[in-house]
Amino acid sequence: MSSESLTSYKVQVRANRLGLWLFFVSESFMFGGLLASRFYLWGNTRPELDQVLGLIVTSILLLSSFFMNRAESAIAYDDRKTFLRSLLITAALGTLFLVGVVGFEWQGHLKPWDGVYGAVLFGMTGLHALHVLSGVIIILLVWNRGRQGGYSAERHWGVEACAIYWHFVDVIWVVFYPALYLIGLPVS
Amino acid sequence: MKHIVIASVLVIVVTVLVILGLNAVDLVPNLASAEGEYVDLMFQAQIYVIAFIFALIIVFMLYSVFVFRRKPGDTSDGPHITGNTTLEITWTIIPLIIVMGFGVWGALHLSEITAQGADELVVEVTGFQFGWRFEYPQYGLSSQELYLPRDRKVLFRLTSTDVIHSFWIPEFRIKQDAVPGLWTELRVTPTEVGNYRVRCAELCGYAHSAMYAPVVVVEPAEFQSWLEGQDVGASQPPEDMTPVERGAQLAEQQGCLSCHSTDGTTLVGPTWQGLYGSQGMLEDGSTVVADEDYLRKSILDPGAQVVDGFPNIMPPAYTFLSDDELAALVAYIESLSN
Amino acid sequence: MTVLSLGIVRGLAAQIVGTALGIGLVVLVRVLMGLHAWEAEPATVVGAMLGVIAFIVGVGSMDDWFRWARGKVTPLHHGPPEDKPAWTRYFSVDYSHKVIGIQYGVLAITLLLVGGSLAGVFRVELAEAGRQFLDPAIFNTMIGMHGWGMIISILLGIAAFSNYLVPLLIGASDMAFPRLNAWAFWINVPTALVFIASMFVGGWDTGWTAYPPLSARAPLGMQLYFVSVFFFGISSIVGALNLIATILMLRAPGMSLFRMPIFVWAVLATSIIALTATQLIALSFIMVMMQRLLGMGFFDPAQGGNPILFQHLFWFYSHPAVYIFVLPGLGIISEILPVFSRKPLFGYKWVALSSMAIALAGFLVWAHHMFTSGMASFLRVPFMFSTLLVAVPTGVKFFSWIATIWRGKLTFPTPMLFVMGALSVFLIGGLSGPPNGIVTTDLFLHDTYWIVGHFHATMFGGFVFPFFAALYYWFPKFTGRMYNERMGKIHFWLMTPAFWVQSLGQMRVGLLGMRRRIVDYDPALGIEGGQLAVTIAGLVIGLSVLIMLANLIYSARRGRVAERNPWKSRSPEWQIPSPVPEISYPDGLQVIGEPYDYGLPDSRYVNLQVAAAAE
Repeated sequence: MSSESLTSYKVQVRANRLGLWLFFVSESFMFGGLLASRFYLWGNTRPELDQVLGLIVTSILLLSSFFMNRAESAIAYDDRKTFLRSLLITAALGTLFLVGVVGFEWQGHLKPWDGVYGAVLFGMTGLHALHVLSGVIIILLVWNRGRQGGYSAERHWGVEACAIYWHFVDVIWVVFYPALYLIGLPVS
Repeated sequence: MKHIVIASVLVIVVTVLVILGLNAVDLVPNLASAEGEYVDLMFQAQIYVIAFIFALIIVFMLYSVFVFRRKPGDTSDGPHITGNTTLEITWTIIPLIIVMGFGVWGALHLSEITAQGADELVVEVTGFQFGWRFEYPQYGLSSQELYLPRDRKVLFRLTSTDVIHSFWIPEFRIKQDAVPGLWTELRVTPTEVGNYRVRCAELCGYAHSAMYAPVVVVEPAEFQSWLEGQDVGASQPPEDMTPVERGAQLAEQQGCLSCHSTDGTTLVGPTWQGLYGSQGMLEDGSTVVADEDYLRKSILDPGAQVVDGFPNIMPPAYTFLSDDELAALVAYIESLSN
Repeated sequence: MTVLSLGIVRGLAAQIVGTALGIGLVVLVRVLMGLHAWEAEPATVVGAMLGVIAFIVGVGSMDDWFRWARGKVTPLHHGPPEDKPAWTRYFSVDYSHKVIGIQYGVLAITLLLVGGSLAGVFRVELAEAGRQFLDPAIFNTMIGMHGWGMIISILLGIAAFSNYLVPLLIGASDMAFPRLNAWAFWINVPTALVFIASMFVGGWDTGWTAYPPLSARAPLGMQLYFVSVFFFGISSIVGALNLIATILMLRAPGMSLFRMPIFVWAVLATSIIALTATQLIALSFIMVMMQRLLGMGFFDPAQGGNPILFQHLFWFYSHPAVYIFVLPGLGIISEILPVFSRKPLFGYKWVALSSMAIALAGFLVWAHHMFTSGMASFLRVPFMFSTLLVAVPTGVKFFSWIATIWRGKLTFPTPMLFVMGALSVFLIGGLSGPPNGIVTTDLFLHDTYWIVGHFHATMFGGFVFPFFAALYYWFPKFTGRMYNERMGKIHFWLMTPAFWVQSLGQMRVGLLGMRRRIVDYDPALGIEGGQLAVTIAGLVIGLSVLIMLANLIYSARRGRVAERNPWKSRSPEWQIPSPVPEISYPDGLQVIGEPYDYGLPDSRYVNLQVAAAAE
């Protein structure tokens, strides 16, 4: 890709950007379907979950988006050191989020086979966790490529795509978190 | 212009012909419920509109095919007509009005069809793979046959014990799914004395096609005697019945007859006629004799020794039967071999 | 050239290995977790999924992306492989939209024949009352396989035409994402194998709609069906994404949206649906899979779940899906009628926007499949209104078509015959819709053979007939040769009356009490004559399709060489040579007029000498 002219690169990036947003529109429907299922099956109730844990993992994810944004801005100004470092921090925070969900929330009293509360909880957090995991992998691939000098201020579509994907995954959680932890009356 | 006039006349002719043609045939089974009248009325009205739109499109299409065929040797194009906004608006607005009109009418029908009646007969319907059970909670009895009095609105409360089934009697027209885990409702007022069939209308597995139950609509007086007769039957203590009688009653109540016939026909499982004492081959090639021992085992653990050629789908759901009840069933089956 | 140099062979080998690895992985994990090693369901599911993924990698559809991840440059290769015969490009990863279009087309027709044959078998059983030869469990699997088999062949056929034609129609050299295009195609090959395999691991007795609780307790084949729909769905979504990006970004200079060929509007509307709604069938099926594998009781009443939720999620895709099935075909009707009427498409803007209106309205009607389901009774009313509303833009199309041919100069080569056939058949299908949309009559019609008649007529009228029309119409452009016109007419005159008999027969027996999805029916219904007629009609249709295939296969090699523009169409693809060269528009394409200005003297739609004129 680096051998083509900057103009055709920019054209390709515009097409890629459209493609990526179309992908997000599509994925939103799957997450939307799960969200609808939550309201259909739980109504105005919700399970009792560890609120402190929920707050912690949400904060971690929001913070990771800040660092992801930092990474993208950095490469746009050719600040490679900050770019690479911020990427790693993002990946680390993303991993911490997964540890929090899989290693702690999922080890609570509720199991996937525990009625509709278990099923929906694990369904929603599970699908989201899969996307977080794939996002972390993409961040590491981008970091690796960045390490080899594959990105520049003019050409860093890979970084932009990774960043938008990461923010998308974050936004999903911003909607899922209240739906799981905050809305409705808790039932034990 | 003359083409439009000729075509319009043809449209009217074809509309009339289609309506006459469709009405000349009995399109649906005989109507036997009050709610079904709305269905038939709505369908008839739709036939008129459908016939007209069908004629409109087909006539103009075929007219074009014949009259506007390109003349041989003519290589020029047709007239450069790109559209007509008035026409577009017209054929958007008019259909919109027609369909909305039907929508309102349909909504009104729905309230009529679902309206509560006075003095409703309540029947609880339970669908299961592959039969139906009917309970009359107001009278404390249950039946494998759906007995109903003419001209009294019935509130059917439906559920299922396993998968989704659907309760449908074509002559009554309207149907309703029976869903496990919840109760659904259907209100029907039978209007014609006769014998009908419940036919399961939601694919429910192996024997979905054969999932029937008999429906008997009778005059109110006869329904009353049926109730009393049922009462008598139910209150006759089992001890007063012979084992064969008790077995026949159990066979009916427990749904055995949905899958096992007594007259030789093969439904889902082997017929009971001539079954007792006969020899059968199992799937592994060994043979068994359908003696008392085999029959008991087949009721309690149906999957253990399935005769070749029959599916292993009888649920092991009858372990609640007492020893006496098992003996009665076997005695009944034996009686069908004489 | 060895067999292994064919991508498909490498892919199949990889699929075998991947399946085995997947099964092994499950066994290993179970042993490590202290469970008993062998459990058929998880092993089969993971094996099937890894097998499909392995094929996609093995065929080579991700090679360039792996190179990018390693920082390499991969110029897009045009044309057949240098070191192998040209035909091998159809069996390997090729980035040309024309090759991919043909690949989709061949796979579509293959699955059409498989699905159609299954119908032939069970229709023979149904010709007479009483059980003749078909076991009910096998019947139940067959109707499900027929249903989804036909659906997927429709999706693939649509992909075939969209891929081949859209870049040609908008003057683009290829799709926006050629590698993604190839990737999306190749998913379907291993997935089709998984789908067929479902018949052989116990089948599944739910029909393609897979309602729980029945689907939660169905045999193992149910899982393979779910896995296959999941992957087919990914292909559909990705293909739609590609088409939308292509249409929005790669139109030739001068081609504003309202100067696009009408088929492109149809594809745009279709792709919007496919991009979004498809996620819901994936979700609903995954939820049943999770209920089966992990006991997650979404739809299990015993655990507080609700079977009706499945129906909402499922139909949220599956209703819009039927508009995916018909919008492209209706676009083909709109595309072809002006050419053989020598008259503009009447009300082009209204027709274009009617496709978008149908797509949008189509999202609001799903619960008309659930009028008897037990959902809240009042919900039936708004869904009835929204359903009836869809009739309005559909009516706009019909009236526009009639207005297009009215006072035209009509000729009837085979493509035009099939377009007229499509019109008449889609008319019956469409007119049998409102009785289902109105709750009153639907309470009678739901789950009867009337519904079967309705959707076969809409599917044939909206897809099959237009698909055949398109095959005949663009055949000279794809192959450079003409099909045999007499055989084409024989195909039409066998298929169309037979199809009318089939549709009317299905509707008639349904009204008389014949339910859907039953292997045997009550002789007391008095429908045996109708059933026999439907069976014979179906077999005649099948025969006519075989005649078409023989015609096309023979003519592709031995047909009369075709002129560049036998139909005298204004559309850009007919201004370039046949068969279409590797680079479609070497000198560019510029739009200088309206697409359908037949009858306007000295008007042209496109100018192909852009590069030359620029000098």
